[in-house]
Amino acid sequence: MKRKVTRNRPARTASKPARRVPAKASAAAKSRRKHRAPAMVEQPDVIDSLVSASAQALRLPIERSWRGGIKFNLQLILRIATLVDEFPLPDDTEPGPVFHA
Amino acid sequence: MLDTPATDAKWSTATDIAAAFASGQLSAVSVVEATLARIRERDPLLNSFTAVVEQRALARAKALDEARARGQQAGPLAGVPFAVKNLFDIAGLPTIAGSKINREAPSARRDAMLVERLEAAGAILIGALNMGEYAYDFTGENIHDGASRNPHDLDRMSGGSSGGSASAVAGGLVPLALGSDTNGSIRVPSSLCGIFGLKPTYGRLSRARTFPFVASLDHVGPLARTAHDLALAYDAMQGFDPDDPVCADRATESVAQLLERGTDGLRIAVASGYFKCRTAESCYALDRVASALGANRDIEIPQADRARAAAFVITATEGASLHLDRLRVRAQDYDPDVRDRLIAGAMAPAALVVKAQKFRRWYREQVLKLFTEVDAILAPATPCTAPLIGQKTFMLGDAELPVRANLGIYTQPISFIGLPVVAVPVPLAPLPIAVQVIAAPWREDVALRIAHTLEAKGVVAAMRPPL
Repeated sequence: MKRKVTRNRPARTASKPARRVPAKASAAAKSRRKHRAPAMVEQPDVIDSLVSASAQALRLPIERSWRGGIKFNLQLILRIATLVDEFPLPDDTEPGPVFHA
Repeated sequence: MLDTPATDAKWSTATDIAAAFASGQLSAVSVVEATLARIRERDPLLNSFTAVVEQRALARAKALDEARARGQQAGPLAGVPFAVKNLFDIAGLPTIAGSKINREAPSARRDAMLVERLEAAGAILIGALNMGEYAYDFTGENIHDGASRNPHDLDRMSGGSSGGSASAVAGGLVPLALGSDTNGSIRVPSSLCGIFGLKPTYGRLSRARTFPFVASLDHVGPLARTAHDLALAYDAMQGFDPDDPVCADRATESVAQLLERGTDGLRIAVASGYFKCRTAESCYALDRVASALGANRDIEIPQADRARAAAFVITATEGASLHLDRLRVRAQDYDPDVRDRLIAGAMAPAALVVKAQKFRRWYREQVLKLFTEVDAILAPATPCTAPLIGQKTFMLGDAELPVRANLGIYTQPISFIGLPVVAVPVPLAPLPIAVQVIAAPWREDVALRIAHTLEAKGVVAAMRPPL
């Protein structure tokens, strides 16, 4: 069955999310992207240091045999979070921690 | 066509049992005794129960029979046995939430609100059901209690984290179970075990006296073998509850009597882009459902990949916050897979979490706009049928991906903003798979009407397993 693709505003927004962002914020976001530091998630020693420092700060005792799994998962979180981090939003966007219809 | 309860107690629906009890064909005690016998016979294979409250169930059944004998009107679920994921409080039992640690917790002093409401409608609690540890799971595996098994193939996953709930319902142990769904934990096991599952709108059903996982994403809801059973249970459980801070103060909107309205006038589209099916079985199921509904229009849910990412980040970090104290002193008592993810979540930068929450509001606004044009959206529930227990990776297209993290790729972007969904099972051989019917907030009636219509057309059904 052939389906028609709905032409609607949200779909267009999907392909160009920056449109919703005020010009000033969009420029700032572009600048941030341009000058972004090398991805931390690609540097295993950085992850290792982050695990050590966070464990100390959070008073989380970590056994040596757990480190591999923790580093893998932290790297995964940071990599996936990049999708959110790079998405430009207006500065006045409120967090939506609880859904209300 | 299902047999009547009198001839086939092993596969009776809640609707069948309630009708038979109300008409005097069945006693509640006989229903409970048959249910307990089935659990003794089959649960050693399925491993779906972690506790059976036999004496309580028999006492409750006897009281129902006596009330009927006195001429009291039976409730809409009178005589219907049900069980609950073991994160629901059951008075007199510790709420273990799939963990080793919580077994040492004091016993619950009161039932969870939804248990109370189902029992007020006449249903009979049978016991507590296996689940993934602390609900951080899509597989149905549990290092402490063993995996709950898929009734259609005992070597395969039930799905998680409400794996025991799906296994018990699909295996014919009980017609009705409760589960929770943070990122897909009702819909994924419903899909893998081939039953119906309802994840209501966030805030619709009370979570009071359940063990939490991710407060801003946690939902609770029913699993059953028909859409009508889902509706009966859902209607009995609705209502404001001040003991759940996010439970909406809305009037009960009964759905069961609306199911026969069908789908005339409903605008139904198929989610495209991110939600494109990736395996032959998921494509077949989606096409079959879409064709039956005449859904010939695609619609794109914008930025769904980022929604899934944001849900992933929020889950990891909120879950970690919930468990931080326990991780400091009892980390060795967690499932290592769960422990490592929770500890990693505790270490994720807060700035990313706030960004994920901000994105959530943007995404919600975009998706709600879609519902001005359509009434329901169809999407796959899982990318594939049930993987083998213990399987670590699967192929999706050309990519080999971890099973545990990716069984919920289609469910996470939907629960992220609390939309109501019914998972409808397409009975494929040898294994079933479900499709999500997604509706606008507070329109569970739309999703359930569509599910019921598909069932009446014979397109979706809970397959009876070869047990």
